Amino acid sequence: MTTVNKNTNALEVKNLVKYFYDPSKFQVLKGVSFDVKKGEFLSIIGKSGSGKSTLLYVLSTMDTDYEGNLSLNGQLLTGQTQNKLSAFRNEHIGFVFQFHYLLPEFTALENVMLPAKKLGKMSLEEIEHKAYESLRLLDLHEQALKGANKLSGGQQQRVAIARALINNPSIIMGDEPTGNLDSKNSLAVQDIFRDLAHEFGQTIICVTHDNDFARRTDRTIEMEDGLVISH
Amino acid sequence: MADKKKNKVNRQIASTHLTSKKWQTVVAILGVTFGVSMYIFMNSFMNGVNKTQDDLAFSNLAHIRIDNENEKNDYDPVKAVFSPATIFNISGRKDIQTETDIKNTNEIVDIMNRQQEVKDVTSQVNFSVFFRNGSKKINGSISGVDPENENRMFGSADKVIAGKWIDLNYMKSGMIIGKELAEDLGVKLNDNVNILTPDGASKNFNVIGIIETSIKEIDRSRAYINIGSARQLLGENFDYSTCVLVNLYNRDETSQVVANTEKAVGYNMETWQDANQQLVAASQLRNIIASAVSLAILLVAGFGIYNIMNMTINEKIREIAILKAMGFSGKDILNIFLTQATVIGLLGAVTGLLLGVGISSAVNQVPFKVAGLTTLPIHYQWGDFAAAIIFGIITTILAGYFPARKASKIDPVVIIRG
Ligand SMILES: Nc1ncnc2c1ncn2[C@@H]1O[C@H](COP(=O)(O)OP(=O)(O)O)[C@@H](O)[C@H]1O
Ligand SMILES: [Mg+2]
Repeated sequence: MTTVNKNTNALEVKNLVKYFYDPSKFQVLKGVSFDVKKGEFLSIIGKSGSGKSTLLYVLSTMDTDYEGNLSLNGQLLTGQTQNKLSAFRNEHIGFVFQFHYLLPEFTALENVMLPAKKLGKMSLEEIEHKAYESLRLLDLHEQALKGANKLSGGQQQRVAIARALINNPSIIMGDEPTGNLDSKNSLAVQDIFRDLAHEFGQTIICVTHDNDFARRTDRTIEMEDGLVISH
Repeated sequence: MADKKKNKVNRQIASTHLTSKKWQTVVAILGVTFGVSMYIFMNSFMNGVNKTQDDLAFSNLAHIRIDNENEKNDYDPVKAVFSPATIFNISGRKDIQTETDIKNTNEIVDIMNRQQEVKDVTSQVNFSVFFRNGSKKINGSISGVDPENENRMFGSADKVIAGKWIDLNYMKSGMIIGKELAEDLGVKLNDNVNILTPDGASKNFNVIGIIETSIKEIDRSRAYINIGSARQLLGENFDYSTCVLVNLYNRDETSQVVANTEKAVGYNMETWQDANQQLVAASQLRNIIASAVSLAILLVAGFGIYNIMNMTINEKIREIAILKAMGFSGKDILNIFLTQATVIGLLGAVTGLLLGVGISSAVNQVPFKVAGLTTLPIHYQWGDFAAAIIFGIITTILAGYFPARKASKIDPVVIIRG
């Protein structure tokens, strides 16, 4: 992939339009455009149902059923094949879901290691070392060898965050990534995100309805009714 | 190198799936095990039956029989001499009996022995006689044989229950007689039997052996003597016989041997396939039944695997979506589930093989004392093992392919959005 220039935008969206057709035709995104700089910690807020999650799925390259243009790291991803997009996600995007977190049959450690094994750029020892480091960062190293389905909801969400970090993705996206965490853990995660953005130049985009969270980010985008109403 | 590592992740995920739902995996494997073992058992059993039947049939049936019997004599001297429109009156017309013998036996035997496909050749002088002992008189037949060649072809010596087959070689007035014929005549070893030919010749023979084939009809009516004595009795020379019998190394090559020699031989040549069409049909039918039944079993096993794979994929739909969100491609997902199917297929095939051999050898112990058998017959063939394994694995992979393809097409957003 192309090397990232310090001045290029990590993410550019132009005029995103998306419809849902079920149960009836409904325009959920009505022409969304904005840029995110490399190393920026961005939050997206807005009322429930305003289209934040829908927007994030488009940004994550998983949802390809939209109009408009999406570029990540200066690369136009609109219209690319599913295989290219999978490979791009694996290397460049870390994603923390709102609800579905982990593979229940694997241990916490294995869950964290999977994206790195898939990428295949590090040796198994390096991957395991890095996975332990990520888990320790989230204060989960003692749970590393526990089955994912044996962990509490908050622990699962933090394992999912550790997993999103493993491949050093240039962009990390989260849909309410601290939604299940108590305030102490939530603050810890926010600190981690800020460090990643400011010290390692990784770009963070988080959907949240927590205004305190939003206030601690570099910039907040507010959505209403399928439109960005403030940058 | 990166590719190898990626496949390794896929294999690791597949193996986690297989081991975390053990009972499902075991049920799927057992389906294949059952199909493969039944395939092996059914086919080995049918092969055993076919082989028994063939052994029985070829204990007195040669691969090719050369004789002068079916030669049609259409020659009508009346038609040859007079034109069709002529009216004539012939009184006291008699048909002369046509020749049914081979006059140049040695030449025919030489021709057949020169063929590279030919294993054994023997000639016989067969004719009907009356067997007489005191006041008992029984209608039957004499087979004048070349004892060594006859034994090589039909294993006659093994069927002799008293005396020695090979004694026919030098005891010119010795006779080996069917077991029931001997009983009916009331004769034992070393007793004398008088025989009377249709032409009125009569001679005493000494019973030097008693033979028991698995064919009642023969045991009840036939006796064997040396072919030289038979010729003498009929007043024929050393080049005379009523039929020449030929065995090949490969009995399926009869038609090409007949085609190659027909002209030179100049007599009627009948292959075992022509003589015993029901034998061929029966073994083919048995093979068809065995294949149909075992393939049906494999098909049922295939549906079982299809269901289990489908169930697994429906249960794992969220995990599949997560894997795809992390960057696993549709091809990876297909790979993961096909790996699962292949492992199930391989394990099922191997255990099926063992179980199939187990069942077969157990059945092979079941007593069954009919027509020369002692137990139910089983005959293993490499081809059946290979086919069972190939069918087992192909069925499993096919049954796994469609659910796996469905899984590979799952749209992660639809699942994750909920
Ligand atoms: N799969 C779907 N089919 C139809 N409508 C949907 C679907 N998902 C979400 N929506 C609708 O789209 C709108 C935006 O949803 P969403 O992006 O989840 O909002 P937010 O994350 O901001 O709460 C809502 O009105 C929701 O009802
Ligand atoms: Mg939402």
